[in-house]
Amino acid sequence: MSTSQGVVTSAERHHAHHFESGLAEFEACKQGMWIFLVTEVLFFSGMFLLYAILRVFYPSMMHDAHHLLNWKMGALNTVILICSSLTMALAVSAAQRGEKDKIVRYIWLTFLFSCGFLVVKFFEYSHKIHEGILPGALWHYEELKAAKAPLFFSVYFVMTGIHGLHVIIGMAVMLWLIKRAKRNEFGPEYFTPVEMTGLYWHFVDLVWIYLFPLLYLVS
Amino acid sequence: MSNNNNHHKKDSHHQHHILTNAMAFKVWGALIGLTFITVAVAQIDLGALNFAVAMLVASIKATLVCMFFMGLKYDHKENTVIFTTSIIFLSIFMILTFGDLITRGDVYVKDGKIIPESFTAGTVVKSKFTKPWISTPELIAHGKEQFQNQCVVCHGAEGKGNGAASAGLNPKPRNFTAAEGWKNGRRPSQIFYTLSNGLGGMPSFASAPSDDRWGLVHYVRSLGPHENEKDTPADFKKIGIDPDKADGGGGGEKVIPVDFAIDQMIADPAGAAKPVKPTKGKK
Repeated sequence: MSTSQGVVTSAERHHAHHFESGLAEFEACKQGMWIFLVTEVLFFSGMFLLYAILRVFYPSMMHDAHHLLNWKMGALNTVILICSSLTMALAVSAAQRGEKDKIVRYIWLTFLFSCGFLVVKFFEYSHKIHEGILPGALWHYEELKAAKAPLFFSVYFVMTGIHGLHVIIGMAVMLWLIKRAKRNEFGPEYFTPVEMTGLYWHFVDLVWIYLFPLLYLVS
Repeated sequence: MSNNNNHHKKDSHHQHHILTNAMAFKVWGALIGLTFITVAVAQIDLGALNFAVAMLVASIKATLVCMFFMGLKYDHKENTVIFTTSIIFLSIFMILTFGDLITRGDVYVKDGKIIPESFTAGTVVKSKFTKPWISTPELIAHGKEQFQNQCVVCHGAEGKGNGAASAGLNPKPRNFTAAEGWKNGRRPSQIFYTLSNGLGGMPSFASAPSDDRWGLVHYVRSLGPHENEKDTPADFKKIGIDPDKADGGGGGEKVIPVDFAIDQMIADPAGAAKPVKPTKGKK
């Protein structure tokens, strides 16, 4: 009972011929995803290292500069991302149980939390752009005299910017998942895309878990 | 074949672990709670411990996310090995870089000859103090600033030798508040000698401007009962100072700060290779 447009429901799906079973295919996909996340660690590690070097070279500047960030906004976004991780985990469980409506609902919730994250980020960015708290030569904020403070904001904008790009990519993938979930493509036999998006999304949360104290709560 | 297929499907169904909603909410609650702890701890000043606590709490949160939301607790061990290996390599990356940064004596470039003509006179730092071996409040304040930037990592914010990095050091960094244990002595010139030449795990700071070193000497001495330890002419001779002359008879020294050197390198990559070349402190 193949549905229109070549859509394959979870129950009908057959694994690729070079895999012994659907389970083997799923496990291989998941291992591939973990290896991708390792490359993501590599991607972010250079930026974390830059942060570490600046902190050793200019500890007092890093302290003074971080006061220009609003830690309440950072904490709010931390809570929002943790909530989005929860709804993503619930979506994966719903997919495993074959509860189509719940998959769609939880992914929508995750999407909404992501929007919330971006809205908070938008207010933070626009405030900084307005005040001239910007990286490098773009800096024109008069009230902080700490030499090298624009360096802190180079790190801040690059790290949160690339993290934000991950959020936006995640949101695009979520819309794709919702479309497929509505066509009944996911269920106990096949939920690989939901699981992989979950892993990706939790990784985005992981990065933020470290970014928040490092950028907003410099001691 | 069909039977075989069904068998696999059934099999796969049983082997996937499904995180219960109750468990997911418990993990969520723990993550929110830990976020509040992170914020609360940041409001209290614990010195170097703040950073350690913040990273510890973040790592607990990260572990919870990995184990439950990402399912590593229920997964094959390979995936845990793959991911934790990357974190271990990241730690090596960080530890080696930090180790390099915090043990550099040569954060300042010192050698008049390698500074090319293009460096203007204004870039050369001259001593601001006369007879800096005699303690003044200005020198102590200057030393305190240097101390907080460069020394607290090992010696601790109060100079008790209990900084964040001291845990890994043996012997422990000097406790400046105690009278005992000063291998080179605790007269100003003796501390200046230790700063310039290093001692055991303590690197040489010979390439830091002498103003910074003298400031540190007087700041460190202000932390403990050291005021009766006075220099003798022989002590001054050992570090090459003529105490009757305002600049100690050395004619000042040419030093440029390393971040200035880096600025030069960014502004003029071709010309800066020479001045930025660090010189090891005289050992």
